[in-house]
Amino acid sequence: MESIESRTTLPATFERGWSRARRKPKLRKLGSLVGVYVIMLIVAAIVIFPIYWMFTISLKLPREIYRLPSLVPQAPTLDNYRELIEKKHFLVNIRNSLIVASSVTVVSLLVSSFAAYSIVRFRYRFRGLIGRVILLTYLTPSSLLFIPLSIIVARLHLGNSLFGLIVLYLTFSIPLSTWLLSGYFRSVPPDLEEQAMVDGTSQLGALFRILLPLSLPGLAAVGIFTFTGAWNELLFALIFITSEDKRTVPIGLQYLITGDVLLWGPIMAGAVLAALPVMVLYFLAQRFMVQGVTAGSVKG
Amino acid sequence: MSTLATPETSRPVGLARLSFANRQALSGYLLVLPALLLLLGLVAYPFFFAITISFTDRVVGEAGHWVGLKNFRYLFNQPSFIKTVTNTIVLVVVADIAKLCIGLGLAVLLNQAVPGRGLMRAVVLLPWAMPGFIAFLVWKLLFTPIGGGLNLILTDTGIYTGIIDWLGQKSTALPAVIIATVWRGFPFWAISFLAALQGVPQELYEAAKIDGATAWQRFRHITLPSIRPVILIVTLMSSIWTANSFENVWIMTQGGPSDATMVFPVLAYFGMQTQRLGEAAAVSVAMIPALLILVFFVTWLIKDDD
Repeated sequence: MESIESRTTLPATFERGWSRARRKPKLRKLGSLVGVYVIMLIVAAIVIFPIYWMFTISLKLPREIYRLPSLVPQAPTLDNYRELIEKKHFLVNIRNSLIVASSVTVVSLLVSSFAAYSIVRFRYRFRGLIGRVILLTYLTPSSLLFIPLSIIVARLHLGNSLFGLIVLYLTFSIPLSTWLLSGYFRSVPPDLEEQAMVDGTSQLGALFRILLPLSLPGLAAVGIFTFTGAWNELLFALIFITSEDKRTVPIGLQYLITGDVLLWGPIMAGAVLAALPVMVLYFLAQRFMVQGVTAGSVKG
Repeated sequence: MSTLATPETSRPVGLARLSFANRQALSGYLLVLPALLLLLGLVAYPFFFAITISFTDRVVGEAGHWVGLKNFRYLFNQPSFIKTVTNTIVLVVVADIAKLCIGLGLAVLLNQAVPGRGLMRAVVLLPWAMPGFIAFLVWKLLFTPIGGGLNLILTDTGIYTGIIDWLGQKSTALPAVIIATVWRGFPFWAISFLAALQGVPQELYEAAKIDGATAWQRFRHITLPSIRPVILIVTLMSSIWTANSFENVWIMTQGGPSDATMVFPVLAYFGMQTQRLGEAAAVSVAMIPALLILVFFVTWLIKDDD
């Protein structure tokens, strides 16, 4: 997962507040209201301008970017997108990223569901210790691990393969997913599963037929977080992918900026294409999170 | 245990005599095993492996010999390593303070009942929803001397008409990286604080108002103490990530100009490219003590929370 302020580390309490805003008595003075709006406008401008600039540059030809810079594109064109897709093989990058991110999501959800189910519903020695180990692995930054991993990956012959990348991404998606899913599972009362098991359902049956369906919003949110985390990852892909046909989206774009001439038009076209699906998915996830985590945070 | 495929298939034969508690325990272990093996093999083992490598003169393709503290002595005499340490401290401290102030201010602001608040919350989330590497690509573009947005704004508004090479000169490179890092990071802080604020009982504020407390006094004596645990956890976790973030520096400056923005992960990455793995590993391992302190506090706080 991306390291900084990774979107996936949202504390459960956030959603509670996010979903039902509390009414405060209205601000009395008009003056302070104006002040609030001025600050909000400044913040909004600072947030939106870089995103706006990304879009406009992606629509500009070099002539307009360098010689006649202006805040509004004068002759918008889709040439940058065309060049990116036809000459830079960006669709190959997107395909690779899709393969990696969706595989990581499926495997991670399965393995993490098992682990979270075990930690939440079963009683055994070292259970607390195992939970702690999983939290610690989540806090271990990947920048500490990439040198030894390069040796281990070579030993396992996993270098320069999408499969190897999938295995490596599981190392940061599983701790996070397990942690979040444990929260959701805890919020589901165990009575239903116990009832089903009395009726002859196996423990795995109780997980798949009762607990997981009841945690569906949570599963969706965790799934989308895992997907975007794998979609965005740069460091491991940079180290372990060496051939051009296996590059993921971050690596494809990364190689565009290490050249001698920075082709900002195509680079920003790529940025738009890479950011859009993730940002859309992310806002879908928000809805799921609100429903799912509100229930999950009840355990308080 | 390894001979049993799953609890389901094995129960009737081998486990018939086991008590319920033992069967429970066995199923529990088997379910957590895949996750645990993967994490032990690809996180815990590499972590300790990194430490042993850092005490050897290992190069790519050769295991190397034990050299004790030689790599660390070498590093501590390197100007680029000293620069890395100070850069990281400046980056983490300044970015943390900025994100704390902006995040807290926005959270208090967005907690007010003003029209348009919902829209504003959605806007604040945007940098957070954006993939990190894209955010830093865009900031690299903004800081470009010609064609970048920042100089254009400065000249158009008449604030400064010269051309500034933000990422190309030593004096502005690190501040520029910090600005981009804060832009990408502050929404997480604002959101977390806002959530915490909404858990503070409203009655406290009303009682304080009746007693004549000013807005600042209410903030200082009610708001801050109530959300102190959240502030601590967010600050600690964010410090861990910021100190170890690779993509912000890699995409914007690759550590340059002349190490002005060099940080641990980028230095270790360059070290790895020179094939001298012992020295490269020592770079990452050198920050483990600081990291351990942060991690210790995080786990301690989370335990406290439960």
